[in-house]
Amino acid sequence: MIQSQEKPDRVLVRVRDLTIQKADEVVWVRARVHTSRAKGKQCFLVLRQQQFNVQALVAVGDHASKQMVKFAANINKESIVDVEGVVRKVNQKIGSCTQQDVELHVQKIYVISLAEPRLPLQLDDAVRPEAEGEEEGRATVNQDTRLDNRVIDLRTSTSQAVFRLQSGICHLFRETLINKGFVEIQTPKIISAASEGGANVFTVSYFKNNAYLAQSPQLYKQMCICADFEKVFCIGPVFRAEDSNTHRHLTEFVGLDIEMAFNYHYHEVMEEIADTMVQIFKGLQERFQTEIQTVNKQFPCEPFKFLEPTLRLEYCEALAMLREAGVEMGDEDDLSTPNEKLLGHLVKEKYDTDFYILDKYPLAVRPFYTMPDPRNPKQSNSYDMFMRGEEILSGAQRIHDPQLLTERALHHGIDLEKIKAYIDSFCFGAPPHAGGGIGLERVTMLFLGLHNVRQTSMFPRDPKRLTP
Amino acid sequence: MAAAAELSLLEKSLGLSKGNKYSAQGERQIPVLQTNNGPSLTGLTTIAAHLVKQANKEYLLGSTAEEKAIVQQWLEYRVTQIDGHSSKNDIHTLLKDLNSYLEDKVYLTGYNFTLADILLYYGLHRFIVDLTVQEKEKYLNVSRWFCHIQHYPGIRQHLSSVVFIKNRLYTNSH
Repeated sequence: MIQSQEKPDRVLVRVRDLTIQKADEVVWVRARVHTSRAKGKQCFLVLRQQQFNVQALVAVGDHASKQMVKFAANINKESIVDVEGVVRKVNQKIGSCTQQDVELHVQKIYVISLAEPRLPLQLDDAVRPEAEGEEEGRATVNQDTRLDNRVIDLRTSTSQAVFRLQSGICHLFRETLINKGFVEIQTPKIISAASEGGANVFTVSYFKNNAYLAQSPQLYKQMCICADFEKVFCIGPVFRAEDSNTHRHLTEFVGLDIEMAFNYHYHEVMEEIADTMVQIFKGLQERFQTEIQTVNKQFPCEPFKFLEPTLRLEYCEALAMLREAGVEMGDEDDLSTPNEKLLGHLVKEKYDTDFYILDKYPLAVRPFYTMPDPRNPKQSNSYDMFMRGEEILSGAQRIHDPQLLTERALHHGIDLEKIKAYIDSFCFGAPPHAGGGIGLERVTMLFLGLHNVRQTSMFPRDPKRLTP
Repeated sequence: MAAAAELSLLEKSLGLSKGNKYSAQGERQIPVLQTNNGPSLTGLTTIAAHLVKQANKEYLLGSTAEEKAIVQQWLEYRVTQIDGHSSKNDIHTLLKDLNSYLEDKVYLTGYNFTLADILLYYGLHRFIVDLTVQEKEKYLNVSRWFCHIQHYPGIRQHLSSVVFIKNRLYTNSH
């Protein structure tokens, strides 16, 4: 056990760097034992480090005794080991490893941390594509088992790739917006009143009273605009007490929110948001190809396609496309999930894009603070954005006039007392502004073509799950 | 669709102007036609065949012996399989089988339009109308056949026209 006893002058080489360039060098490597297999006087190990693995060989000879070979063969899977060995070129490529051109001839092997012999799930099963599992009758691991043993499930090459890409999304979001002159803000999550309507909010006890967990940073984003920050964004948790057990709902998720003052038209904001998304997609495709390919091995899917500039359709055009396909919908109806998906297919077929904006939603289906369309009272200055036929962003021009805001709130039957502070923030000069928010987990899921948001949430929270 | 209503539809599509009066018999309301000369005719397919002969369009019952047998087979199928089943699962099995059958045929008998096509169209209409876009694409041959029959002059009449999208949305053909 390493208890920081000493500071050896030793360099540990990363498995990904074990290539032909290092042939014949003696190196130290720390990795996990992925598999170990004894064959007579030899033991073959596969040593794994994050997404990379390499074959290692312990053979009876100058450096290894029969006992050492036996010892190596009996090390439990997933144990962490320190290995000193020579990197040797191989004649035939090792197809089952990421490092295909070399293998490590082990001289010394130490167990740093021993794993228990019985693992709750096998990593090879956890990485197996569903189709292969069914065809060959081999085991795959179901979602609940993975989530119950998340620490092990996250070690798989697929999970490593997914969450590295997710980290990339956050990074690109931040990088792009800062380059566009936005300021990052932090907003409170313990609030005094439900921000999006009382139904889906978590209550916490706050000393002698009750408080709520924020359903979105909406109110505070807008207050920052009224406080002259002009362009703001925030990345933080969002809490929705919605009892929805679907493939795309979580009770806690990470919201990436944007709010921006504009000069004359809310399209200035809408286009900035769309451009931010496009920069994220491009950045992911440039910097995370390895991760995308790794995920594709287990979950094959078509690469994500998008247009520049982003395709923008108006709600009425979408209605026409759906009606042409035989769907019956009223002019002011909201899109149901099946219709959203069908629309996604129709748009992909017609325009060859997985990402598009739907603009000018009917006013009747939007929240009370949405600015109505000046030319058509039944429409609103609001928009949704879709990836692979599923909604990832809902946004709009916000009403910045306290009188109009009060009118619309009354129209929606909202208790004005509960939103007094909100309305007051617009009383001392408020710029016209608009914004929107995306869910990090959903965007990761849809970009990679995965089918359940729990695959892209490290420790997901839903109505049935509170641990780990 | 009630048997009497369907038979009126058939009369019109065959170009018969005189509307017969049909009565119903038994628990399953099997249609009965009282003819002027002879015994009454019972059963959808029997009456339908009679109407075809009345309209002087016997070719609709098949030209060769083999074709006639195929027509009879599908008329039987219509009454026993389609009218008998109303559960969603059964219909999908049925559509899957019909889809493979129609893979290499324009019409049920192959290359000729017959009464089998008409009665199968009337019988399947209420199910096809509720299929999703994805299901219609899955049963591609059934959709192709149904779309063709529904455009035949005089066949569809007041029945709703089912929309079929010409391009593939769901299969990876991009």
